[in-house]
Amino acid sequence: MDSLAAPLEVMARPQLDLELRGIRKRYGDFTAVDGVSLQVEKGQFVCLLGPSGCGKTTTLRCVAGLEEPDDGGILIGGNEVTKDPPWQRDIAMMFQDFALFPHMTVAKQVGFGLEMLKKPKVGIAKRVEEVLKAFEISALADRKPGSLSGGQRQRVALARAMITEPRILLLDEPVGALDYSLRETVMLELKLLQQRTGISFIWVTHDQNEAFSLGDLVVVMNHAKIEQQGTAEEILRRPATAFVASFVQGNNVFRGRVTGTSPDVLQVETSAGRFYVPRPPDPAPMLGDAVSFSVRAEQITDAPSQRQANRLTARCTAVEYFGAVRRHIFERCDGEVLKYDQFGAHAARIVSGQTVQLGWQVEETVLHTGAPG
Amino acid sequence: MIGWKGRSSLTAWVLGTLTVIFLAYQWLPIFTLGLLSFSGPTGGTTFPMNGTSFHWYQELWRASVMNDFKPPLLRSVLLAAACSATTIVLSVMAAQAMRGQFRGNGWFFYLMLLGIMAPGILVGFGFAILMRLMGVDLSWDTTTFLVQVSWTLPFGFLTMLAVFNRFDKRVEEAALTLGASRLSTFRRITLPLVLPGVIGAGLFGFSLSYDEYARSMFTTGPDATLPLAVMAQLDRQLTPEIYAVGTTTTLFSLIAVTLCTVAFWAMRRSTSLRRT
Repeated sequence: MDSLAAPLEVMARPQLDLELRGIRKRYGDFTAVDGVSLQVEKGQFVCLLGPSGCGKTTTLRCVAGLEEPDDGGILIGGNEVTKDPPWQRDIAMMFQDFALFPHMTVAKQVGFGLEMLKKPKVGIAKRVEEVLKAFEISALADRKPGSLSGGQRQRVALARAMITEPRILLLDEPVGALDYSLRETVMLELKLLQQRTGISFIWVTHDQNEAFSLGDLVVVMNHAKIEQQGTAEEILRRPATAFVASFVQGNNVFRGRVTGTSPDVLQVETSAGRFYVPRPPDPAPMLGDAVSFSVRAEQITDAPSQRQANRLTARCTAVEYFGAVRRHIFERCDGEVLKYDQFGAHAARIVSGQTVQLGWQVEETVLHTGAPG
Repeated sequence: MIGWKGRSSLTAWVLGTLTVIFLAYQWLPIFTLGLLSFSGPTGGTTFPMNGTSFHWYQELWRASVMNDFKPPLLRSVLLAAACSATTIVLSVMAAQAMRGQFRGNGWFFYLMLLGIMAPGILVGFGFAILMRLMGVDLSWDTTTFLVQVSWTLPFGFLTMLAVFNRFDKRVEEAALTLGASRLSTFRRITLPLVLPGVIGAGLFGFSLSYDEYARSMFTTGPDATLPLAVMAQLDRQLTPEIYAVGTTTTLFSLIAVTLCTVAFWAMRRSTSLRRT
């Protein structure tokens, strides 16, 4: 065996801006956050993604200090802050509806953070002026939030949060309150701002497009737990659980039992038929184990050759055309839906009502190695 | 045959008329008193009026009569101001505590409201007996003050609860995450935003205390408040002078309320919540 054990990892770990160590939060019988652990490297853009009620906002509020976890630890910049109040943490937060102070002018509320730091008045006025200019809201300095548009409020809220240059900016659905047409512009601006300032962003959203287009690290949560964390590509291409696979768009999920194993391949019997999936490294599922796997809609073909060993016959129930993609909805024999995406401007080959044999390669089948959701 | 829109505007007319009649019923007695306070020197306290004059106002201002009412007036104003200030402080604190949802907050709520439910005359009488048992001397600035606060506080408390009910607590959270301590947050964010409600609680405290009779009757001791002095005067002799007192106080209250309303409106305008 390896007699020369690998030397202990002495390599300096990049400094962490945030570390969550198994935090838990209960409200009566309801567990909002159940043992969430997370490491955010310096200047990382992290997106917490999940359906409503999955605990992502509570996690964010624990980081802010607005909630105190029942259990576990929170470290900001390497310092334990679990019991510290919000005003002693090196963070700022942007709320969903921005939570601007209705009685303060824009200039006053942008300067609020510095005022609380007891900075000299002259310095504050100067800095506020700079920041208002940087966020292109100088013209609004004397206005009150009641007279601002959604986009303007968003800028004011951002300027107010960024002025003290916190280590971490927490954003709770920051573009959710904006008009759809404005969102993409604002998202791009925020991404550029994050890269320029090197401040870590923790962005809570239920919108996977936001999470995948922005996050260096995407953390998918469900039922108070983290299901999977990784880059957008890892999560989209290798979903770890059936929940992640069905939550992110474009996956077809199957559940079944292992009925045969070989060194490379598992044979799985499902209600929609028998399929082959690549055998993962040990500990691999054993004969008779319940497993789930998925295949992306764009990996399916309607003209399977020998290479596409996984086959399925299904009836097409709808065809949706999105320009770059033509999505076919099929009904599987077990009543579930199967999606098949065709790229490019091919002419339609399948029409609604047609029964077609579909297939995909074993290698494109992703076995879910996390706990089945 | 008229359509449902027409019928509903007809309903609006009927209900509107009823409301106007009700308001007249509520306010006409006061106008009557006001009118009678301008009757001539030989005038009585009933219609028809005997001439018109400012005689009773002059009488009111003259030393002999003023001396009867001046000290009670001063006491009542001081007492009302003290009740108002106490109501403001205690009701804001109590409402803040209710927001925190402490153990037994339901009981606390009902105990606070007991001050409104309990009949004033019984509260005053019981309190007077209790004070006597404890050997405490009755006085307008101690015992009366306590009893009246138990009456004004629940009104202030309900006002503040209603205000906090509509309060967006995320603006406080935003302040906390921007580095403001809880005290700074209260001073800079919470208080300015609920100030209209605080003014309302103070107004309740003042006006409820100023004309309180039942609770003061047994608890005031030798130095009477204005309502007690007025009642005593009514017992002795009924002249339009009393009406002059009433009219003057009503005017005084109206001016105070108007000023507060204007202030309130100005506040609202400057803090109008997130409406474009």
